[in-house]
Amino acid sequence: MHLSVKFAVKIKQHILFATKLTLAGGALYVAYDSGLLGNGKEGSVALGRAKDAFPPAVEEWMKYFGFQLPATPKIEFSPLDAWNSGVQKSFHALSVAPSTASDYTKQGLQYVKDLTK
Amino acid sequence: MSEKELGQKWDRCLADCAVKFGTGLGLGIVFSVVFFKRRTWPIVFGTGLGLGMAYSNCQNDLRSHYVLQSKVAKEQ
Repeated sequence: MHLSVKFAVKIKQHILFATKLTLAGGALYVAYDSGLLGNGKEGSVALGRAKDAFPPAVEEWMKYFGFQLPATPKIEFSPLDAWNSGVQKSFHALSVAPSTASDYTKQGLQYVKDLTK
Repeated sequence: MSEKELGQKWDRCLADCAVKFGTGLGLGIVFSVVFFKRRTWPIVFGTGLGLGMAYSNCQNDLRSHYVLQSKVAKEQ
């Protein structure tokens, strides 16, 4: 009786370990098979697929649970377009600085002339 | 390498970084729960592995333009 209980406990431990191994191995295999562990091209393709699949999945879950998510606010700012804007604006300012300075100097001199009239 | 090509490579790099970070985090969580009694270190390790793989892929992609491929070397 005592030996059979020990045997049953060992079998249970082995089965538990085998189940854990299957779960972890399965997760690793799914990640490898979907191209998540490959090179950069496969990674960006996987991200594209996830982006395409996300809104329909969210909509289905919303229908299932019966409530609506608030609409995402539209942000006008684009980091891609704004990336070099600081450098571009600085150099544009530098390039027009001489002509702007001469315009302001002329305006200042004209103002002083008008004052002294 | 043209500006457009460089921009595309950087886009791929960032996308790959996000994917590998998420995958590393996910697998780290799975291994932490299944084998390591919900400790934090497998999660951190998995995330680090993912980021390291993304960095390596990025490096290879950005260098690939300047590396002579073996097929070209053989033809020459």
